[in-house]
Amino acid sequence: MHLGVDDDELATCVSCGLCLPHCPTYRVTGEEALSPRGRVAAMRQVQWEGRPADPSFVRSLATCVQCRGCETACPSGVPFGRLIEPARAALAAGPAPPPWPLRVGLGLLPRHRLLLAASSLLAVAQRLRLLPRGAARRLGLPDRLPVRRPRLRPSGTGEDPTRDVWLFTGCVMDAWMRDVHRDVQRVVEAAGGRVALPGPGAACCGALALHAGLEDDARALAHRTMAALPGEAPILVDSAGCGAALRDYGRLLGTPEAAAFAARVRDVHEWLADRVDRLAAAAGSRGDRAGRPRVAVQDPCHLRHVQRAHGAVRVVLAPFADLVELDDEGLCCGAGGAYAVVEPELAGAVRDRKLAAIARSGAPVVASANPGCALHLAAAGVDVVHPCQVVARALAGAGPVSTPPAAARS
Amino acid sequence: MTDPVAAFAAEVGPPEAGAVVAVGGRTEWDVGGPLDPDVEVREVRAPAGIVAVEAADMTVRVRAGTTVDELAAALAEVGQAVALPSRPGATVGGVLAVGRSDVRRLGWGPVRDAVLQVRYVSADGTVVAAGGPTVKNVSGFDLCRLMVGSLGTLGLLAEVVLRTRPAPAASRWVAGEVDPAALLRRLHRPSAVLWDGTTTWALLEGHPADVEDQARLAGLPDAPGPPPLPPHRWSVRPAEVYRLAAAGGLGAFVAEVGVGVVHASVPPPPRAVDPAVVRLHERTKALFDPTNRLAPGRSPLAGTRLAAAEGGG
Amino acid sequence: MGQTALVSASQPTVAHEALVADLAAALAPDRVRTGAVELDLYGRDASVLRGSAAVACFPLDTDEVAAAVRIARRHGRPFVARGSGTGLAGGAVPVGDPVVIVTTKMDRILEVDVDERVAWVQPGVVNLDLTRALARHGLHFAPDPSSQQACTIGGNVANNSGGPHCLAYGVTSAHVLAVEVVLPDGEVTVLGGLDPEPPGLDLRGAFVGSEGTLGIATRIAVRLTPDPPAVATLLLDFPTVEAAAETVSGIIADGLLPAALEMMDQPITRAAEEFAHAGYPTDAAAVLLVELDGLPAGLADAVERVGRIGRSHGARTVRVAADDAERALLWKGRKAAFGAVARVAPNYYLHDTVVPRTRLVEVLREVYAIAERHGLAVMNVFHAGDGNLHPLLLFDARTPGVMDRVHAAGEEIVRVSIAAGGVLSGEHGIGLEKRDLMPLLFSPVDLDAQARLREAFDPDGVANPTKVLPAGSRCGDLQSVPEGVWV
Repeated sequence: MHLGVDDDELATCVSCGLCLPHCPTYRVTGEEALSPRGRVAAMRQVQWEGRPADPSFVRSLATCVQCRGCETACPSGVPFGRLIEPARAALAAGPAPPPWPLRVGLGLLPRHRLLLAASSLLAVAQRLRLLPRGAARRLGLPDRLPVRRPRLRPSGTGEDPTRDVWLFTGCVMDAWMRDVHRDVQRVVEAAGGRVALPGPGAACCGALALHAGLEDDARALAHRTMAALPGEAPILVDSAGCGAALRDYGRLLGTPEAAAFAARVRDVHEWLADRVDRLAAAAGSRGDRAGRPRVAVQDPCHLRHVQRAHGAVRVVLAPFADLVELDDEGLCCGAGGAYAVVEPELAGAVRDRKLAAIARSGAPVVASANPGCALHLAAAGVDVVHPCQVVARALAGAGPVSTPPAAARS
Repeated sequence: MTDPVAAFAAEVGPPEAGAVVAVGGRTEWDVGGPLDPDVEVREVRAPAGIVAVEAADMTVRVRAGTTVDELAAALAEVGQAVALPSRPGATVGGVLAVGRSDVRRLGWGPVRDAVLQVRYVSADGTVVAAGGPTVKNVSGFDLCRLMVGSLGTLGLLAEVVLRTRPAPAASRWVAGEVDPAALLRRLHRPSAVLWDGTTTWALLEGHPADVEDQARLAGLPDAPGPPPLPPHRWSVRPAEVYRLAAAGGLGAFVAEVGVGVVHASVPPPPRAVDPAVVRLHERTKALFDPTNRLAPGRSPLAGTRLAAAEGGG
Repeated sequence: MGQTALVSASQPTVAHEALVADLAAALAPDRVRTGAVELDLYGRDASVLRGSAAVACFPLDTDEVAAAVRIARRHGRPFVARGSGTGLAGGAVPVGDPVVIVTTKMDRILEVDVDERVAWVQPGVVNLDLTRALARHGLHFAPDPSSQQACTIGGNVANNSGGPHCLAYGVTSAHVLAVEVVLPDGEVTVLGGLDPEPPGLDLRGAFVGSEGTLGIATRIAVRLTPDPPAVATLLLDFPTVEAAAETVSGIIADGLLPAALEMMDQPITRAAEEFAHAGYPTDAAAVLLVELDGLPAGLADAVERVGRIGRSHGARTVRVAADDAERALLWKGRKAAFGAVARVAPNYYLHDTVVPRTRLVEVLREVYAIAERHGLAVMNVFHAGDGNLHPLLLFDARTPGVMDRVHAAGEEIVRVSIAAGGVLSGEHGIGLEKRDLMPLLFSPVDLDAQARLREAFDPDGVANPTKVLPAGSRCGDLQSVPEGVWV
């Protein structure tokens, strides 16, 4: 079967195997089929040699977290993300459609009001102990969903025309971790940004649909999102997964408009890194060494391997925290969007490696710039905060970070 | 003039020519046990002579009958050295056939790692080459290492290529009553650390300023050289040395600290060898010397016992 | 497409099903694999060769490996051990539908003895993982092949792997004290020992580098090397390849023993720079990467001498890395060089020969001439200090007839190297790739001796059959030419 993968791109792998240790699923299984090199070779068998897409092929592709750690490791520049996405789409359309609960879940994401209502309902169920913790975790839910969410307002008042940046709020993060958005907005304002908020059209970037191989759904969501974020202003994103997806709209849609839109997208830390002096000044003596939190930085794959913006997180955090690097070379934590829900066993094994690295680091708190990673790690008992929350607390003079945000509390 | 190696092969002759044993300097003649007294064994000597000192490549091609001292002298002329133990009269071939390393093994490595290529005369009386003349080589099976320590029971060494090293600019023995383990940890790659239960010796080699620094770090005065070594040779895990010394079973001893060779006045007990390893030895010997004409009676496993006998007394 | 291949996929038969069932019972059903797509992945390594496996299984310990070997034998199948599959000579490519025994799930560091500087590891431990785990003790595992981030210690043992730093520290054989092996008859024993002079023949030495033909290593005692007290990494750039090669000879002849001495020519320097951004001079005809280590005085002296020798041969600049970050960056480009080649051409063929260091200049000149004669682009990145050449021939496998030219040029490079007093392989091994070139280096008598060693371990020829020695190496040998494999 033809997987819709570009033949020239499929030809770029020279099978050297240097990607193997950078692949989370290979790391925990040692299986060639669960490695980037193996997946490329498997795609070649099916697309070039006409071998049937047997269960071992489906497993090989379906288990990919799509962290793209292999891309940064690959000396040959194999564009692995561009190979796996169409191949997964071909599988989704053919022999291996995504399971229905996943499709229902993905269908809910862009319907923001419904999502918020459902989330609140689940939160109440949690409080009343109607939803067992194990079941919640299997669904990828935080242990303590917020019943109420803080209200976000654009910077300034009324129809102030001088708002100069958009803050993309997205779906799940807005429902479960809106306090992160609130803190991000405070930090951006402290750095001199005036924040505009998108309408309900920008309720989902489409990343999870794309990962599941539902390309058409992803394209429709991309069109909606672009319409909700008009103008020339930079679009700041505080979720690494969403940022990576928005930045890929040019390729996904293949239009000049989409490319222009994608060029406006910036991870919020990149934007803040250029203004870190202002932030430090705003914090004043509150950013002093004494009492600074010790924070381990966890690099979300879509920040490190796709956007390659993980350096900016460190620049932004450095004045406000003692940073501790993990010694696992940025290996994926296993969250991978909906991956933790679809492949819980592998996701758990991958997470165990990350937990060990966090334990070795000795840091009490982990900063992660992606909600998926934060939830996945928090579910294992790690104290996780968004990097901007560390900054926000320093700005507020709240001292060391010791409590995780409600959404991430275990 | 004919090739001395070919002449040596002719002297060894085909299997019909009977049992042979290669003789070097007889400095370690007892290793591997006595020759079979019931077999007439002809003594042969490997050819001598240094074929080529490849100073710029840091290798040397030398015939097995050459004495280690002659080789060392030739290499010293070009500022190089080789990690073979030196004993008066000992030959290159003899030293390699026995396979025991020098007291500088800690810094210089075992003798087997110095061998790049061997040419030996097989039991068929033909010349076999293994390895290669380059400092790095993974072309085929490593018969060189198989030959080192094989006591002439698999083939008779005729000519070898050895890896040389720069002779150290400074070389100095120091000695005193210090804890050998602590001294070993403190020094950077000493060439040797010896200990007789009371006194510790260290051989420091390298750049003169570094040797000076290391001597200061050791906090020990100069010594004329290593102590005389008792006759028997034990091989134990490096950490085992201290336990053995404390138990007192070694008699007078000098231990190579960090290596595990112990020179003692008491002979070591027989060592246990796994039956599977014994079978590999037997098969190897049968395939390399089907008529058992190479040093009959002698065995690399002499002085060992079957591990299966363990527990049975 | 790089694979010039064909597959004789094993048909599901009653016998095959019984083999799979026995393996599943001895290991675990989910660690025995027969899916066609997955199985095909175990028909390859990092070379361009391709074979086919009957079944792939993943043992977790020595007993399971021994069980898999015995089951393979009982079913009349050969077996092939495989680690990460980063080998470049086809050593792990299965021939004759064997049972492939994958050791990657045996990835535990079993024991580290800091005082004795020895560690017991399972064969699936990744080389660099071991070194990382040892870092806090100030120790490391010295062999550092370019694939060290991916390759396993078991693979290192099979191939007697090298790497840049084996110039001063020696190849894998010098760092393996003992190996627990499953012999081809399924018996388990230990070769070598933790004491310096284990009794008997050095069967450990014979086993290391035997490319899986003498058995399967299941536990390995490796020697740990103390980190050097001081390290200096230098980058020298030259206007000509000859000047760089002469500098290499000059350094060795001056009695210096660098920890590593690597050379890269212009095309590979450019490709690596594009990936690593190490600040390599892309206008230099060749660069030398020199690492020196040791105690401060000797180190300073060596740095000065290397700089002087380089300049006397026309080095334009001598850059000394200022800190560990810069050192790491300089090495990153070198270590990723092979992979980075794909940025230049879709396929490459990497060769591996060794020549005496004094002959580097002339052999390199020949290598360029050979590539030109065959209309192929060539790049050179190699362990110059060892005389270990790694010419890369670049091509697009989709070009009709190109593989013939690639193989012809490769064979000429081997012949030229051997004519200069060199050998077939410095670290990749013989495998399938160079098996039939062995007679260039060894006489029939030499090969027969090697075949005897193999026969002592594996009289029935079931361990990784058809590798290393060409058919007919042993008198009366009935070893057949492998089917289903193209070189």
